[in-house]
Amino acid sequence: MFFYGFLGISYDFRWSVLWTPPHTSWLIDGLLTTLRVSATSWIIAVLIGILVGALRTVPFRPLRIVATAYVEFFRNVPLLVWLFFWYFGAPEALPESARQWLIHHGAEFVCAVTGMSIYHGARISEVIRAGIQSIPKTQLEAGLSTGLSVTQVYRLIIIPTALRLIVPPLTNESLNLLKNSSLAMTIGVGELTFATRQIETYTAKAFEAFTAGTLIYLALCLGIAYVMNRVERKFAIPGLIVRAGRAEH
Amino acid sequence: MKRFGIFLMVAVFVMSIAGLSAAETTLEKIKRTGVFTVGARSASPPFGYINKQNDWGGFSIDLARLVNAALEKKLGQAVKFELKESTPATRIPLLTSMAVDLISGTMTITRARRESVDFSLIFFGTGAQFLVKKGSPIKGVQNIAGKRIACQQGSTNERVLREQYPKANLVIFPDQAAGYTALTQGKVDAYTNDGIQLWGLKYKSPKPDDWNVVGDWYTYEPYGMAMRPNDAEFRLVVDSALMDAIDGGEYFKIYDKWFGPKSDVPYPLSPEARTLLKLQVVPK
Repeated sequence: MFFYGFLGISYDFRWSVLWTPPHTSWLIDGLLTTLRVSATSWIIAVLIGILVGALRTVPFRPLRIVATAYVEFFRNVPLLVWLFFWYFGAPEALPESARQWLIHHGAEFVCAVTGMSIYHGARISEVIRAGIQSIPKTQLEAGLSTGLSVTQVYRLIIIPTALRLIVPPLTNESLNLLKNSSLAMTIGVGELTFATRQIETYTAKAFEAFTAGTLIYLALCLGIAYVMNRVERKFAIPGLIVRAGRAEH
Repeated sequence: MKRFGIFLMVAVFVMSIAGLSAAETTLEKIKRTGVFTVGARSASPPFGYINKQNDWGGFSIDLARLVNAALEKKLGQAVKFELKESTPATRIPLLTSMAVDLISGTMTITRARRESVDFSLIFFGTGAQFLVKKGSPIKGVQNIAGKRIACQQGSTNERVLREQYPKANLVIFPDQAAGYTALTQGKVDAYTNDGIQLWGLKYKSPKPDDWNVVGDWYTYEPYGMAMRPNDAEFRLVVDSALMDAIDGGEYFKIYDKWFGPKSDVPYPLSPEARTLLKLQVVPK
Protein backbone atom coordinates (compact mmCIF):
# COMPACT_ATOMS: atom_id res chain seq x y z
CA MET A 1 0.00 0.00 0.00
CA PHE A 2 2.66 2.36 1.20
CA PHE A 3 5.15 1.80 -1.64
CA TYR A 4 2.93 0.99 -4.54
CA GLY A 5 -0.14 3.01 -3.70
CA PHE A 6 1.06 5.86 -5.86
CA LEU A 7 1.20 3.57 -8.88
CA GLY A 8 -2.44 2.78 -8.51
CA ILE A 9 -1.78 -0.81 -7.52
CA SER A 10 -3.52 -1.78 -4.35
CA TYR A 11 -1.38 -4.27 -2.49
CA ASP A 12 -1.73 -5.42 1.05
CA PHE A 13 1.69 -6.00 2.62
CA ARG A 14 1.95 -8.89 5.04
CA TRP A 15 5.56 -9.33 6.09
CA SER A 16 4.60 -11.97 8.63
CA VAL A 17 4.55 -14.59 5.85
CA LEU A 18 8.34 -14.57 6.14
CA TRP A 19 8.42 -15.82 9.71
CA THR A 20 5.32 -18.01 9.60
CA PRO A 21 6.28 -21.70 9.75
CA PRO A 22 7.32 -23.42 7.57
CA HIS A 23 8.38 -20.50 5.41
CA THR A 24 11.38 -19.52 7.56
CA SER A 25 12.78 -23.04 7.38
CA TRP A 26 12.34 -22.99 3.59
CA LEU A 27 14.38 -19.80 3.43
CA ILE A 28 17.08 -21.27 5.67
CA ASP A 29 17.19 -24.51 3.66
CA GLY A 30 17.35 -22.48 0.47
CA LEU A 31 20.14 -20.31 1.86
CA LEU A 32 22.14 -23.37 2.93
CA THR A 33 21.67 -25.00 -0.47
CA THR A 34 22.79 -21.80 -2.19
CA LEU A 35 25.90 -21.73 0.00
CA ARG A 36 26.58 -25.42 -0.62
CA VAL A 37 26.21 -25.13 -4.41
CA SER A 38 28.21 -21.90 -4.55
CA ALA A 39 31.03 -22.94 -2.22
CA THR A 40 31.55 -26.31 -3.93
CA SER A 41 31.43 -24.72 -7.39
CA TRP A 42 33.73 -21.90 -6.30
CA ILE A 43 36.44 -24.22 -5.03
CA ILE A 44 36.37 -26.33 -8.19
CA ALA A 45 36.13 -23.25 -10.41
CA VAL A 46 39.17 -21.63 -8.77
CA LEU A 47 41.19 -24.82 -9.15
CA ILE A 48 40.21 -25.05 -12.81
CA GLY A 49 40.87 -21.33 -13.15
CA ILE A 50 44.41 -21.53 -11.75
CA LEU A 51 45.27 -24.54 -13.89
CA VAL A 52 43.82 -23.19 -17.14
CA GLY A 53 44.95 -19.63 -16.44
CA ALA A 54 48.52 -20.83 -15.95
CA LEU A 55 48.33 -23.07 -19.03
CA ARG A 56 47.36 -20.07 -21.11
CA THR A 57 50.66 -18.37 -20.28
CA VAL A 58 53.04 -21.33 -20.63
CA PRO A 59 55.52 -21.21 -23.48
CA PHE A 60 54.15 -24.40 -25.08
CA ARG A 61 51.67 -23.76 -27.87
CA PRO A 62 49.54 -26.97 -27.90
CA LEU A 63 48.73 -26.53 -24.19
CA ARG A 64 47.85 -22.88 -24.78
CA ILE A 65 45.52 -23.86 -27.61
CA VAL A 66 43.73 -26.46 -25.50
CA ALA A 67 43.32 -23.98 -22.65
CA THR A 68 42.08 -21.24 -24.99
CA ALA A 69 39.60 -23.61 -26.63
CA TYR A 70 38.23 -24.58 -23.22
CA VAL A 71 37.79 -20.96 -22.15
CA GLU A 72 36.16 -19.79 -25.35
CA PHE A 73 33.86 -22.80 -25.57
CA PHE A 74 32.54 -22.62 -22.05
CA ARG A 75 32.31 -18.91 -21.40
CA ASN A 76 30.52 -18.11 -24.66
CA VAL A 77 27.40 -20.18 -24.05
CA PRO A 78 24.85 -18.98 -21.48
CA LEU A 79 25.10 -20.72 -18.12
CA LEU A 80 21.42 -21.65 -18.24
CA VAL A 81 22.03 -23.60 -21.45
CA TRP A 82 24.99 -25.33 -19.81
CA LEU A 83 22.86 -26.31 -16.83
CA PHE A 84 20.25 -27.86 -19.10
CA PHE A 85 23.03 -29.60 -20.98
CA TRP A 86 24.65 -31.06 -17.85
CA TYR A 87 21.33 -32.17 -16.40
CA PHE A 88 19.25 -33.23 -19.39
CA GLY A 89 21.99 -33.99 -21.90
CA ALA A 90 25.25 -35.24 -20.43
CA PRO A 91 23.94 -37.97 -18.06
CA GLU A 92 22.24 -39.67 -21.02
CA ALA A 93 25.69 -40.47 -22.40
CA LEU A 94 26.76 -42.24 -19.20
CA PRO A 95 26.61 -46.04 -18.89
CA GLU A 96 23.29 -47.11 -17.39
CA SER A 97 24.73 -48.13 -14.00
CA ALA A 98 26.57 -44.82 -13.58
CA ARG A 99 23.44 -42.97 -14.65
CA GLN A 100 21.30 -44.76 -12.07
CA TRP A 101 23.90 -44.11 -9.39
CA LEU A 102 23.90 -40.42 -10.27
CA ILE A 103 20.10 -40.24 -10.23
CA HIS A 104 19.96 -41.72 -6.75
CA HIS A 105 22.74 -39.53 -5.40
CA GLY A 106 21.41 -36.07 -6.05
CA ALA A 107 21.76 -35.71 -9.82
CA GLU A 108 20.33 -32.19 -9.61
CA PHE A 109 23.00 -30.96 -7.20
CA VAL A 110 25.88 -32.71 -8.95
CA CYS A 111 24.86 -31.45 -12.39
CA ALA A 112 24.37 -27.90 -11.12
CA VAL A 113 27.83 -27.89 -9.50
CA THR A 114 29.38 -29.38 -12.64
CA GLY A 115 27.82 -26.76 -14.86
CA MET A 116 28.68 -23.85 -12.60
CA SER A 117 32.27 -24.98 -11.94
CA ILE A 118 33.13 -25.49 -15.58
CA TYR A 119 31.51 -22.24 -16.69
CA HIS A 120 32.97 -20.11 -13.93
CA GLY A 121 36.29 -21.96 -14.14
CA ALA A 122 36.59 -20.63 -17.68
CA ARG A 123 35.85 -17.12 -16.51
CA ILE A 124 38.14 -17.25 -13.48
CA SER A 125 41.01 -18.59 -15.61
CA GLU A 126 40.86 -15.36 -17.61
CA VAL A 127 41.18 -13.35 -14.42
CA ILE A 128 44.19 -15.39 -13.37
CA ARG A 129 45.79 -15.14 -16.80
CA ALA A 130 45.31 -11.38 -16.77
CA GLY A 131 46.96 -11.28 -13.34
CA ILE A 132 49.99 -13.22 -14.48
CA GLN A 133 50.35 -11.23 -17.70
CA SER A 134 50.03 -7.89 -15.94
CA ILE A 135 53.37 -8.39 -14.22
CA PRO A 136 55.93 -6.47 -16.31
CA LYS A 137 58.61 -8.52 -17.98
CA THR A 138 61.24 -6.40 -16.25
CA GLN A 139 60.31 -8.08 -12.97
CA LEU A 140 61.30 -11.39 -14.44
CA GLU A 141 64.52 -9.92 -15.77
CA ALA A 142 65.28 -8.15 -12.50
CA GLY A 143 64.67 -11.37 -10.62
CA LEU A 144 66.92 -13.32 -12.94
CA SER A 145 69.66 -10.74 -12.61
CA THR A 146 69.72 -11.25 -8.84
CA GLY A 147 70.58 -14.89 -9.47
CA LEU A 148 67.15 -16.55 -9.07
CA SER A 149 66.01 -19.31 -11.43
CA VAL A 150 62.88 -18.90 -13.62
CA THR A 151 60.85 -21.18 -11.35
CA GLN A 152 61.99 -19.21 -8.34
CA VAL A 153 61.04 -15.93 -9.98
CA TYR A 154 57.57 -17.30 -10.73
CA ARG A 155 57.15 -18.78 -7.24
CA LEU A 156 58.63 -15.89 -5.25
CA ILE A 157 57.79 -12.81 -7.31
CA ILE A 158 55.31 -13.23 -10.16
CA ILE A 159 52.69 -15.52 -8.65
CA PRO A 160 52.49 -13.78 -5.26
CA THR A 161 52.11 -10.42 -6.97
CA ALA A 162 49.60 -11.73 -9.49
CA LEU A 163 47.43 -13.31 -6.80
CA ARG A 164 47.29 -9.98 -4.99
CA LEU A 165 46.41 -8.11 -8.14
CA ILE A 166 43.51 -10.35 -9.08
CA VAL A 167 41.64 -10.03 -5.78
CA PRO A 168 39.22 -7.34 -7.06
CA PRO A 169 38.27 -9.13 -10.32
CA LEU A 170 38.15 -12.44 -8.48
CA THR A 171 35.74 -10.90 -5.99
CA ASN A 172 33.63 -9.87 -8.94
CA GLU A 173 33.65 -13.40 -10.35
CA SER A 174 32.86 -14.89 -6.95
CA LEU A 175 29.86 -12.61 -6.54
CA ASN A 176 28.69 -13.56 -10.03
CA LEU A 177 29.02 -17.22 -9.19
CA LEU A 178 26.96 -16.84 -6.04
CA LYS A 179 24.22 -14.97 -7.89
CA ASN A 180 24.28 -17.40 -10.82
CA SER A 181 23.59 -20.26 -8.42
CA SER A 182 19.96 -19.09 -8.61
CA LEU A 183 19.80 -20.71 -12.06
CA ALA A 184 20.21 -24.13 -10.45
CA MET A 185 16.54 -23.87 -9.58
CA THR A 186 15.65 -24.61 -13.21
CA ILE A 187 17.03 -28.14 -12.87
CA GLY A 188 15.31 -28.86 -9.59
CA VAL A 189 17.80 -27.62 -6.98
CA GLY A 190 15.93 -26.06 -4.07
CA GLU A 191 18.16 -23.06 -3.50
CA LEU A 192 17.35 -19.59 -2.20
CA THR A 193 15.49 -18.22 -5.23
CA PHE A 194 13.53 -21.45 -5.33
CA ALA A 195 12.58 -20.96 -1.67
CA THR A 196 11.42 -17.38 -2.20
CA ARG A 197 9.31 -18.48 -5.16
CA GLN A 198 7.96 -21.30 -3.05
CA ILE A 199 6.79 -18.83 -0.42
CA GLU A 200 5.39 -16.62 -3.14
CA THR A 201 3.37 -19.41 -4.73
CA TYR A 202 2.02 -20.59 -1.38
CA THR A 203 1.07 -17.18 -0.05
CA ALA A 204 0.76 -15.04 -3.20
CA LYS A 205 2.88 -12.46 -1.33
CA ALA A 206 5.36 -11.78 -4.11
CA PHE A 207 6.82 -8.51 -2.86
CA GLU A 208 7.54 -9.85 0.62
CA ALA A 209 9.05 -13.10 -0.61
CA PHE A 210 11.26 -11.50 -3.26
CA THR A 211 12.27 -8.70 -0.90
CA ALA A 212 13.49 -11.34 1.53
CA GLY A 213 15.41 -13.04 -1.29
CA THR A 214 16.87 -9.72 -2.43
CA LEU A 215 18.05 -8.81 1.06
CA ILE A 216 19.61 -12.23 1.69
CA TYR A 217 21.53 -12.14 -1.60
CA LEU A 218 22.59 -8.57 -0.89
CA ALA A 219 23.80 -9.49 2.59
CA LEU A 220 25.70 -12.51 1.26
CA CYS A 221 27.35 -10.51 -1.51
CA LEU A 222 28.23 -7.59 0.74
CA GLY A 223 29.68 -10.07 3.22
CA ILE A 224 31.85 -11.67 0.54
CA ALA A 225 32.90 -8.26 -0.78
CA TYR A 226 33.82 -7.14 2.75
CA VAL A 227 35.94 -10.22 3.43
CA MET A 228 37.66 -9.96 0.06
CA ASN A 229 38.34 -6.27 0.71
CA ARG A 230 39.99 -7.15 3.99
CA VAL A 231 42.02 -9.83 2.27
CA GLU A 232 43.05 -7.35 -0.41
CA ARG A 233 44.15 -4.78 2.15
CA LYS A 234 45.92 -7.26 4.38
CA PHE A 235 48.04 -8.63 1.57
CA ALA A 236 48.45 -5.41 -0.38
CA ILE A 237 51.90 -4.41 -1.54
CA PRO A 238 52.48 -0.76 -0.57
CA GLY A 239 53.41 0.37 -4.08
CA LEU A 240 50.34 -1.26 -5.58
CA ILE A 241 47.67 -0.21 -3.08
CA VAL A 242 47.94 3.41 -4.20
CA ARG A 243 46.72 2.41 -7.65
CA ALA A 244 43.99 0.26 -6.16
CA GLY A 245 42.86 3.09 -3.91
CA ARG A 246 42.60 5.57 -6.73
CA ALA A 247 40.06 3.43 -8.56
CA GLU A 248 37.48 4.11 -5.90
CA HIS A 249 37.05 7.75 -6.84
CA MET B 1 19.60 24.48 -8.12
CA LYS B 2 20.12 22.33 -11.20
CA ARG B 3 19.69 19.21 -9.10
CA PHE B 4 16.49 20.56 -7.64
CA GLY B 5 15.18 21.15 -11.16
CA ILE B 6 15.83 17.57 -12.14
CA PHE B 7 14.20 16.39 -8.93
CA LEU B 8 11.14 18.48 -9.77
CA MET B 9 10.92 17.06 -13.28
CA VAL B 10 11.14 13.52 -11.95
CA ALA B 11 8.52 14.27 -9.32
CA VAL B 12 6.13 15.70 -11.90
CA PHE B 13 6.72 12.72 -14.18
CA VAL B 14 6.06 10.22 -11.41
CA MET B 15 2.95 12.07 -10.35
CA SER B 16 1.60 12.17 -13.88
CA ILE B 17 2.04 8.40 -14.18
CA ALA B 18 0.33 8.04 -10.84
CA GLY B 19 -2.49 10.24 -12.05
CA LEU B 20 -2.90 8.16 -15.19
CA SER B 21 -3.05 4.81 -13.54
CA ALA B 22 -4.44 5.60 -10.12
CA ALA B 23 -7.60 3.61 -9.56
CA GLU B 24 -7.83 2.67 -13.22
CA THR B 25 -10.08 -0.33 -13.60
CA THR B 26 -9.26 -3.15 -15.97
CA LEU B 27 -12.02 -2.08 -18.34
CA GLU B 28 -10.71 1.49 -18.38
CA LYS B 29 -7.19 0.19 -19.03
CA ILE B 30 -8.38 -1.96 -21.94
CA LYS B 31 -10.41 0.93 -23.35
CA ARG B 32 -7.45 3.29 -23.12
CA THR B 33 -4.85 0.90 -24.58
CA GLY B 34 -7.11 -1.09 -26.92
CA VAL B 35 -5.29 -4.25 -25.87
CA PHE B 36 -6.47 -7.18 -23.80
CA THR B 37 -3.47 -9.09 -22.41
CA VAL B 38 -3.95 -12.65 -21.25
CA GLY B 39 -1.48 -14.78 -19.32
CA ALA B 40 -1.52 -18.26 -20.84
CA ARG B 41 0.43 -21.49 -20.48
CA SER B 42 2.99 -22.35 -23.14
CA ALA B 43 3.62 -26.03 -22.34
CA SER B 44 0.35 -27.35 -20.94
CA PRO B 45 -1.52 -29.00 -23.79
CA PRO B 46 -4.40 -28.89 -24.43
CA PHE B 47 -5.09 -25.82 -22.25
CA GLY B 48 -2.34 -23.63 -23.57
CA TYR B 49 0.75 -24.51 -25.55
CA ILE B 50 2.90 -23.44 -28.44
CA ASN B 51 2.54 -25.94 -31.26
CA LYS B 52 5.04 -27.17 -33.83
CA GLN B 53 4.20 -24.23 -36.08
CA ASN B 54 5.12 -21.94 -33.17
CA ASP B 55 1.53 -20.73 -32.72
CA TRP B 56 -0.34 -20.43 -29.46
CA GLY B 57 -3.33 -22.67 -29.07
CA GLY B 58 -5.40 -24.32 -26.42
CA PHE B 59 -8.71 -24.68 -24.69
CA SER B 60 -8.12 -21.90 -22.15
CA ILE B 61 -6.85 -19.61 -24.89
CA ASP B 62 -9.97 -20.16 -26.98
CA LEU B 63 -12.12 -19.39 -23.95
CA ALA B 64 -10.13 -16.20 -23.39
CA ARG B 65 -10.86 -15.23 -27.00
CA LEU B 66 -14.55 -15.39 -26.13
CA VAL B 67 -13.87 -12.93 -23.32
CA ASN B 68 -12.08 -10.72 -25.84
CA ALA B 69 -15.16 -10.75 -28.08
CA ALA B 70 -17.36 -9.87 -25.09
CA LEU B 71 -15.01 -6.99 -24.25
CA GLU B 72 -15.23 -5.62 -27.79
CA LYS B 73 -19.00 -5.74 -27.55
CA LYS B 74 -19.04 -4.11 -24.13
CA LEU B 75 -16.58 -1.32 -25.01
CA GLY B 76 -17.85 -0.84 -28.57
CA GLN B 77 -14.33 -0.82 -30.03
CA ALA B 78 -11.82 -3.25 -31.48
CA VAL B 79 -9.66 -4.85 -28.80
CA LYS B 80 -6.36 -6.48 -29.66
CA PHE B 81 -5.90 -9.96 -28.15
CA GLU B 82 -2.42 -10.48 -26.76
CA LEU B 83 -0.91 -13.50 -25.05
CA LYS B 84 1.91 -13.63 -22.54
CA GLU B 85 3.47 -16.68 -21.04
CA SER B 86 2.58 -17.28 -17.41
CA THR B 87 3.62 -20.07 -15.05
CA PRO B 88 2.20 -20.98 -11.65
CA ALA B 89 4.98 -19.00 -10.03
CA THR B 90 4.63 -15.87 -12.16
CA ARG B 91 0.91 -15.56 -12.78
CA ILE B 92 -0.11 -13.69 -9.65
CA PRO B 93 2.76 -11.15 -9.88
CA LEU B 94 1.91 -10.66 -13.57
CA LEU B 95 -1.64 -9.78 -12.62
CA THR B 96 -0.73 -7.56 -9.69
CA SER B 97 1.80 -5.62 -11.71
CA MET B 98 -0.80 -4.97 -14.47
CA ALA B 99 1.34 -6.88 -16.98
CA VAL B 100 -1.65 -9.06 -17.84
CA ASP B 101 -5.37 -8.49 -17.37
CA LEU B 102 -6.51 -12.08 -17.10
CA ILE B 103 -4.92 -15.42 -16.36
CA SER B 104 -6.46 -18.13 -18.48
CA GLY B 105 -4.47 -21.28 -18.18
CA THR B 106 -4.63 -24.11 -15.70
CA MET B 107 -5.10 -22.22 -12.46
CA THR B 108 -6.95 -24.02 -9.69
CA ILE B 109 -9.32 -21.92 -7.66
CA THR B 110 -8.24 -22.07 -4.01
CA ARG B 111 -9.31 -20.10 -0.98
CA ALA B 112 -5.76 -18.90 -0.29
CA ARG B 113 -5.50 -17.58 -3.84
CA ARG B 114 -8.84 -15.85 -3.45
CA GLU B 115 -7.18 -13.61 -0.88
CA SER B 116 -5.07 -12.11 -3.67
CA VAL B 117 -7.05 -12.53 -6.89
CA ASP B 118 -10.63 -12.92 -8.02
CA PHE B 119 -11.72 -15.95 -10.01
CA SER B 120 -14.25 -16.47 -12.75
CA LEU B 121 -16.66 -19.37 -12.54
CA ILE B 122 -15.22 -22.88 -12.84
CA PHE B 123 -14.52 -23.68 -16.48
CA PHE B 124 -12.98 -27.11 -16.00
CA GLY B 125 -12.67 -29.67 -13.20
CA THR B 126 -9.88 -32.19 -12.76
CA GLY B 127 -7.73 -33.80 -10.04
CA ALA B 128 -4.11 -34.75 -9.51
CA GLN B 129 -2.76 -38.09 -10.75
CA PHE B 130 0.60 -39.53 -11.82
CA LEU B 131 2.17 -39.99 -15.23
CA VAL B 132 4.40 -43.07 -15.22
CA LYS B 133 6.19 -45.27 -17.69
CA LYS B 134 4.27 -48.40 -18.68
CA GLY B 135 4.90 -51.14 -16.14
CA SER B 136 5.82 -48.77 -13.31
CA PRO B 137 5.13 -50.07 -9.77
CA ILE B 138 3.46 -46.75 -8.95
CA LYS B 139 -0.31 -47.20 -9.04
CA GLY B 140 -1.31 -44.06 -7.19
CA VAL B 141 -0.60 -41.88 -4.21
CA GLN B 142 -0.52 -44.97 -1.93
CA ASN B 143 2.86 -46.18 -3.19
CA ILE B 144 5.02 -43.14 -3.78
CA ALA B 145 7.03 -43.38 -0.53
CA GLY B 146 10.74 -43.28 -1.28
CA LYS B 147 10.11 -42.68 -4.98
CA ARG B 148 11.39 -39.71 -6.90
CA ILE B 149 8.31 -37.73 -7.88
CA ALA B 150 8.64 -34.71 -10.15
CA CYS B 151 6.16 -31.90 -9.75
CA GLN B 152 5.75 -28.32 -10.73
CA GLN B 153 6.59 -25.57 -8.30
CA GLY B 154 3.58 -23.64 -7.07
CA SER B 155 0.99 -26.22 -8.09
CA THR B 156 -1.65 -27.35 -5.63
CA ASN B 157 -0.62 -30.99 -5.94
CA GLU B 158 2.95 -30.18 -4.98
CA ARG B 159 1.58 -28.65 -1.82
CA VAL B 160 -0.59 -31.67 -0.97
CA LEU B 161 2.31 -34.08 -1.50
CA ARG B 162 4.68 -32.00 0.58
CA GLU B 163 2.24 -31.71 3.43
CA GLN B 164 0.52 -35.10 3.41
CA TYR B 165 3.04 -37.49 1.84
CA PRO B 166 6.38 -36.41 3.30
CA LYS B 167 7.96 -39.79 2.49
CA ALA B 168 7.85 -39.11 -1.25
CA ASN B 169 11.11 -37.76 -2.61
CA LEU B 170 9.94 -34.61 -4.40
CA VAL B 171 11.95 -33.12 -7.24
CA ILE B 172 10.43 -29.75 -7.94
CA PHE B 173 10.84 -27.97 -11.28
CA PRO B 174 9.75 -24.45 -12.16
CA ASP B 175 7.94 -25.57 -15.30
CA GLN B 176 6.17 -28.56 -16.76
CA ALA B 177 8.59 -29.08 -19.65
CA ALA B 178 11.52 -29.76 -17.27
CA GLY B 179 9.53 -32.13 -15.07
CA TYR B 180 8.22 -34.05 -18.05
CA THR B 181 11.68 -34.34 -19.65
CA ALA B 182 13.06 -35.62 -16.34
CA LEU B 183 10.38 -38.34 -16.43
CA THR B 184 11.01 -39.33 -20.03
CA GLN B 185 14.73 -39.64 -19.23
CA GLY B 186 14.02 -41.82 -16.21
CA LYS B 187 15.47 -39.27 -13.80
CA VAL B 188 12.26 -39.46 -11.77
CA ASP B 189 9.81 -42.31 -11.24
CA ALA B 190 6.65 -40.31 -11.86
CA TYR B 191 5.51 -36.86 -12.79
CA THR B 192 2.46 -35.58 -11.00
CA ASN B 193 0.06 -32.88 -12.06
CA ASP B 194 -3.62 -32.43 -12.74
CA GLY B 195 -4.88 -35.56 -14.48
CA ILE B 196 -6.04 -33.83 -17.64
CA GLN B 197 -2.65 -32.22 -18.16
CA LEU B 198 -1.01 -35.63 -17.83
CA TRP B 199 -3.36 -36.96 -20.51
CA GLY B 200 -2.24 -34.03 -22.63
CA LEU B 201 1.43 -34.91 -22.11
CA LYS B 202 0.77 -38.60 -22.80
CA TYR B 203 -0.94 -37.88 -26.11
CA LYS B 204 1.67 -35.33 -27.13
CA SER B 205 4.53 -37.76 -26.54
CA PRO B 206 6.00 -39.60 -29.54
CA LYS B 207 4.75 -42.96 -28.19
CA PRO B 208 1.58 -42.37 -26.16
CA ASP B 209 1.23 -46.10 -25.40
CA ASP B 210 4.43 -46.06 -23.36
CA TRP B 211 2.91 -43.80 -20.74
CA ASN B 212 0.10 -44.34 -18.27
CA VAL B 213 -1.88 -41.90 -16.20
CA VAL B 214 -2.48 -43.71 -12.90
CA GLY B 215 -4.18 -43.25 -9.53
CA ASP B 216 -7.37 -41.77 -8.21
CA TRP B 217 -7.60 -38.01 -7.98
CA TYR B 218 -5.82 -37.14 -4.75
CA THR B 219 -6.79 -33.48 -5.09
CA TYR B 220 -9.76 -31.66 -6.61
CA GLU B 221 -8.71 -28.96 -9.05
CA PRO B 222 -11.43 -26.64 -10.29
CA TYR B 223 -9.92 -24.37 -12.95
CA GLY B 224 -10.90 -20.72 -13.16
CA MET B 225 -9.68 -17.57 -14.86
CA ALA B 226 -7.97 -15.17 -12.47
CA MET B 227 -8.11 -11.40 -12.42
CA ARG B 228 -7.20 -8.50 -10.17
CA PRO B 229 -9.41 -8.40 -7.07
CA ASN B 230 -12.34 -6.06 -6.50
CA ASP B 231 -12.98 -5.28 -10.12
CA ALA B 232 -16.62 -6.35 -10.26
CA GLU B 233 -17.40 -4.85 -13.66
CA PHE B 234 -14.60 -6.69 -15.44
CA ARG B 235 -15.33 -9.87 -13.58
CA LEU B 236 -18.94 -9.73 -14.76
CA VAL B 237 -17.80 -9.39 -18.37
CA VAL B 238 -15.59 -12.47 -17.96
CA ASP B 239 -18.26 -14.52 -16.20
CA SER B 240 -20.98 -13.47 -18.65
CA ALA B 241 -18.82 -14.46 -21.57
CA LEU B 242 -18.35 -17.91 -20.04
CA MET B 243 -22.04 -18.23 -19.12
CA ASP B 244 -23.14 -17.23 -22.62
CA ALA B 245 -20.73 -19.77 -24.03
CA ILE B 246 -22.05 -22.57 -21.82
CA ASP B 247 -25.65 -21.53 -22.43
CA GLY B 248 -25.29 -21.01 -26.17
CA GLY B 249 -23.25 -24.16 -26.77
CA GLU B 250 -20.08 -22.35 -27.81
CA TYR B 251 -18.27 -23.79 -24.79
CA PHE B 252 -19.10 -27.35 -25.84
CA LYS B 253 -17.89 -26.73 -29.39
CA ILE B 254 -14.57 -25.55 -28.01
CA TYR B 255 -14.53 -28.50 -25.62
CA ASP B 256 -15.10 -30.84 -28.53
CA LYS B 257 -12.29 -29.18 -30.48
CA TRP B 258 -9.74 -29.86 -27.74
CA PHE B 259 -11.13 -32.90 -25.89
CA GLY B 260 -13.52 -34.52 -28.38
CA PRO B 261 -13.03 -37.99 -29.86
CA LYS B 262 -11.13 -36.58 -32.87
CA SER B 263 -8.88 -34.33 -30.79
CA ASP B 264 -5.35 -35.04 -29.61
CA VAL B 265 -6.51 -35.59 -26.03
CA PRO B 266 -9.87 -37.41 -26.06
CA TYR B 267 -11.47 -36.73 -22.70
CA PRO B 268 -15.25 -37.03 -22.74
CA LEU B 269 -17.15 -34.54 -20.64
CA SER B 270 -18.70 -36.45 -17.73
CA PRO B 271 -22.39 -35.87 -16.92
CA GLU B 272 -21.30 -34.47 -13.55
CA ALA B 273 -18.98 -31.96 -15.17
CA ARG B 274 -21.73 -30.94 -17.60
CA THR B 275 -24.14 -30.38 -14.69
CA LEU B 276 -21.50 -28.40 -12.79
CA LEU B 277 -21.04 -26.11 -15.80
CA LYS B 278 -24.77 -25.68 -16.44
CA LEU B 279 -25.58 -24.89 -12.81
CA GLN B 280 -23.13 -22.00 -12.80
CA VAL B 281 -25.09 -20.16 -15.47
CA VAL B 282 -27.30 -17.71 -13.59
CA PRO B 283 -30.33 -16.07 -15.26
CA LYS B 284 -29.89 -12.87 -17.25
